[in-house]
Amino acid sequence: MGDFSTRTTGSGVVVVQPTGRLNMVAAPTLRKQLNDIVDGGASRIVVDLSSTEFIDSSGLGALIAALKIARNAGGDLRIAAPTKQVCTVLELSNLDRVLRTYASADSAFDE
Amino acid sequence: MSEHTFEAQTGPETLAEIQRTLDAAWSEDDVPDDTRMCIELAVSEIGTNIIEYSGDGQPVRLRMVVAVRPESVAVTFTDDGHPAPVDLARISMPGDTAESGRGLALAHRVLDELSYSRDKNGNHWTLIRRRSE
Repeated sequence: MGDFSTRTTGSGVVVVQPTGRLNMVAAPTLRKQLNDIVDGGASRIVVDLSSTEFIDSSGLGALIAALKIARNAGGDLRIAAPTKQVCTVLELSNLDRVLRTYASADSAFDE
Repeated sequence: MSEHTFEAQTGPETLAEIQRTLDAAWSEDDVPDDTRMCIELAVSEIGTNIIEYSGDGQPVRLRMVVAVRPESVAVTFTDDGHPAPVDLARISMPGDTAESGRGLALAHRVLDELSYSRDKNGNHWTLIRRRSE
């Protein structure tokens, strides 16, 4: 499976946009990609979930792993524009308390 | 009411085939969005568990039956892997920083019934969600 599309905003935030289903098939790809971004020196990351139609515990695990390495590197991982299914799964897992949600990827690090 | 069956050796395509089986069921019966979402999540979690652990990484023979009933949707999984070391009475959501271990807890949370049994044919999982109206 190929990597998900990424871009860097004017303020140096890396935005990753996983598409489709973040399950045990796609989660390792996202996990490695986020890991490589932090290894490459960026630690402010937004995962844009507007095109993620489905997430399960495998996808959540990838986000939590990346949140920890981003914070260890002095940055943060934030999520933007989650779909209804993703919002529901974040609430069910109580991770809506840990992974802060922003309306858009470009404003996630504004505050 | 309808019934859809999927049977295969587990592999990289299994989760996608499981979802296609659900899509076929949804196309035939009018099932509420919320019920679909709960079943899809629970099925992904239990399916992942079987694919990853039932054969210790090796393929297992998997059979899935989706039964859309007037009051509920029931999905059963049967596989010929080794016994699943689970205690469904002791499921809990792990802490916020855990990177794994949420699957069964999520499935349990979105289902009205989640059961596991083991007999000479292998492992049997039953997942039931009442239709939400």
